[in-house]
Amino acid sequence: MPYKFIEHTADIAVEVEGKSIEEIFISAFNAWKDIVLDITAVKNEQSKKFLFASKTLEELLIEFLSELNYQLYTKKWVVNSINKILIQKTGEIFHLDVEVFGESLKNKNHAIKEEIKAVTFHQMKIVEKNGNLSTIIVFDI
Amino acid sequence: MEINGIKIEKINDYLWEIPAQGGMLVPGRIYASQKMLEESIKNDEALKQVINVAHLPGIQMFSLAMPDIHWGYGFPIGGVAATDLDEGVISPGGVGYDINCGVRLARTSLKYEEIKHKIQRLIEVLFQNIPTGVGSSGAIRKLSPSEIKRILKNGAEWAIENGFGSQEDLLYTEENGKLKDANPESVSERAIERGLDQAGTLGSGNHFLEVDVVEEIYDEKVAEVFGLFKGQIVILIHTGSRGLGYQICDDYLKLLVQSEKKFGFKLPDKQLACAPIKSQEGQDYLSAMRCAANFAWNNRQIIMHLAKKSFKETFSISDSELGFQLIYDVCHNIAKIEEHVIIDKNGKEKTKKVCVHRKGATRAYPAGSLLIPEKYRSVGQPVLIPGDMGRYSFIAVGKEKSMEETFGSSCHGAGRVQSRHQAMKSAKGKDLIKELTDSGIVIQAKGYKTIAEEMPHAYKDVSEVVDVMHFAGISTKVAKLKPIGVIKG
Repeated sequence: MPYKFIEHTADIAVEVEGKSIEEIFISAFNAWKDIVLDITAVKNEQSKKFLFASKTLEELLIEFLSELNYQLYTKKWVVNSINKILIQKTGEIFHLDVEVFGESLKNKNHAIKEEIKAVTFHQMKIVEKNGNLSTIIVFDI
Repeated sequence: MEINGIKIEKINDYLWEIPAQGGMLVPGRIYASQKMLEESIKNDEALKQVINVAHLPGIQMFSLAMPDIHWGYGFPIGGVAATDLDEGVISPGGVGYDINCGVRLARTSLKYEEIKHKIQRLIEVLFQNIPTGVGSSGAIRKLSPSEIKRILKNGAEWAIENGFGSQEDLLYTEENGKLKDANPESVSERAIERGLDQAGTLGSGNHFLEVDVVEEIYDEKVAEVFGLFKGQIVILIHTGSRGLGYQICDDYLKLLVQSEKKFGFKLPDKQLACAPIKSQEGQDYLSAMRCAANFAWNNRQIIMHLAKKSFKETFSISDSELGFQLIYDVCHNIAKIEEHVIIDKNGKEKTKKVCVHRKGATRAYPAGSLLIPEKYRSVGQPVLIPGDMGRYSFIAVGKEKSMEETFGSSCHGAGRVQSRHQAMKSAKGKDLIKELTDSGIVIQAKGYKTIAEEMPHAYKDVSEVVDVMHFAGISTKVAKLKPIGVIKG
C-alpha cells in the first residue's frame, strides 16, 4: 500500500493513498510501522481485536493509529500486520472493526526507532486525488 | 512588508504587527529581527497560525509570537495568548502534547579545570543512572496508580517526600513544583497507565541532560545573585510529562474537537479545538493539564536528584564540596491563570486574571514579582533558553517590559532548521561522535540516529533568538553556557 514521506521541519509527515477507506487505514499502518521500529523480526504470534467509533473518518484514523502507539509504548506489544479490517457507517457514526497480529516487544529483537508523541489533526483530511483516496498524516515526535 | 501574502507592519527593530483583519479579534505581534522574518520565519506557516490564534474567543490584546516561532499544531511553537476567564477559552493546542515540557538548571561549585579529565566518566555514570530513550522506564521502582495520582496532585513534593531532593528545591521551581486544583479524576486511566514506569525518565527526541561550563557572564550582578561564575560546572535538564502528558492532550483534543458544534465555535484549524474556560470541559482540561504539569515537575526533580548522585559517585566528594543547588526550573508548555494589566479596545487599563497559554515560551517575571523566589526578587526570574548540543545555551533574566508587552513571557529555545530526514542525510559519512568529541563535547545516546537528528546544524542559532528578547527589553542576557557533556534518548 503506498505512502510517501513529506519534508517536515520538526516532526514526521506522510502522505498515504488507497483505493478505499480501508486501504487508507492499511497504508497509514504501513507508514506507522516504517516510522516506529525495525519490524522485520516481528512475528504474528497473537491476535487482538479493536472496535472504534467516531463522527469523522479522520478522527477514526487518529484513534486507530493512537491505539497502535499505546499498544507499542505502554503495553509493549507490537502490531505486525492487519488481518481483517472493516469500516462502516451507521447513521452519523463511522465504525472501525479491525483484527491485528503481533507479539510482545522483545528488547533483543525489536529496536524502536522513534517515539511518536501523538497523531495530530494537522493537515489531515481524507480527499479524492487522482481517482484514489488520500490524506496527509503528521506525527508529533 | 509582506510575507507569504501576510501584511506585516514594523513597530520597531524587534517587534512586528499583523493588523487585525477578517475574523481576527486582536492583532498578531511577532518578536523578531527583519533577517529572521525574511530568512527563517517565512519558510513555514507559523505566521498563519499567529493569525489563527487571534480568532480564539476571549483573546486579550494580542496573539503573540516569540522569536523562536515555528510551525506547530494549532498554536505556533513560540506562541503566547491570554484569554478572558469569563468569555474566553482554553485550548490544548495552546499548551501542546508535552505538557510542562521545561528546563531545569542546577549549579555546582566545581570548576571545569578541576574536572575536565573526568567528563567522560561523569557522562557514563549519568547515562547509567538516568533512563533515556523511547519509552524509557525504571528510574525508580514502578509506581502504583494510586501513587501516580499522588504525584498528579502534589507534583515535585512527592519526589521530596520520597527522598529525591530537599524542601529548598521546591522554592526554586516555578509554582513551587505544584499547580493547585489538579484533580486526578480528570485524568484517564490510560494516561495514568502510561505514567506508571516513566517517573524520573528523560525520554527521547530533543530532550536531554547536559553538563555545561559557564563560558561568559554578561551581567555580573545578576549572575552573582543566581550563584553563577565563569568556568563553573552546571547542568541543564530538558524534559516534560512524558507519555502521561501526551495522552492527556490526546484525550482532551478528541473531546473538544467533538464539542466544537456544541460550543458554536468556528475555528480555522481543528488543532485549535477549545472550550470556554468556565465550561465543564474547560475546567476538566485545566485540571488534567495541571496534573500533567505536576508529573513533569516531579520528573525533573527526580532526574536532578539522580544527576546529583551521579556527580557524587564520579568525583567521590561530599555535599558541601559539590555545592549542588537548583537555580531554577521553568516550564515552557503550559496554560496558567495569572494576573496581568489588560488594555481593552478603548485603551482602558484593568488588572485582571487571565488564562495565559505559553506554547514554547518561558515565563519571564521581572524584579519585584512576589511569584518568584525571594532570593531573586531584586533582579528578576531566571529565564532558561537551551540551544543545540554543540554550541551554547543562555540564561537570561525577566524584565518589567515582559509584563507590559508579553504577559510575562519570553523565548524558549532554538527551533529546528532542518527536518530529521535532512539532518540524517547531511550526517551521512560523518563520524558525528568524533566531531563532537573533537570540539570538547562528550555524548552518550541510546542510538546513533538520535545523535544525527539532533546535530547542532539541524537547529537555528539560539543566540539570535536570545538577542531579540534582550534588545526588545523582555529578558536580558546573564550568562552563556557551553555544553561539555550530553546524554540523550
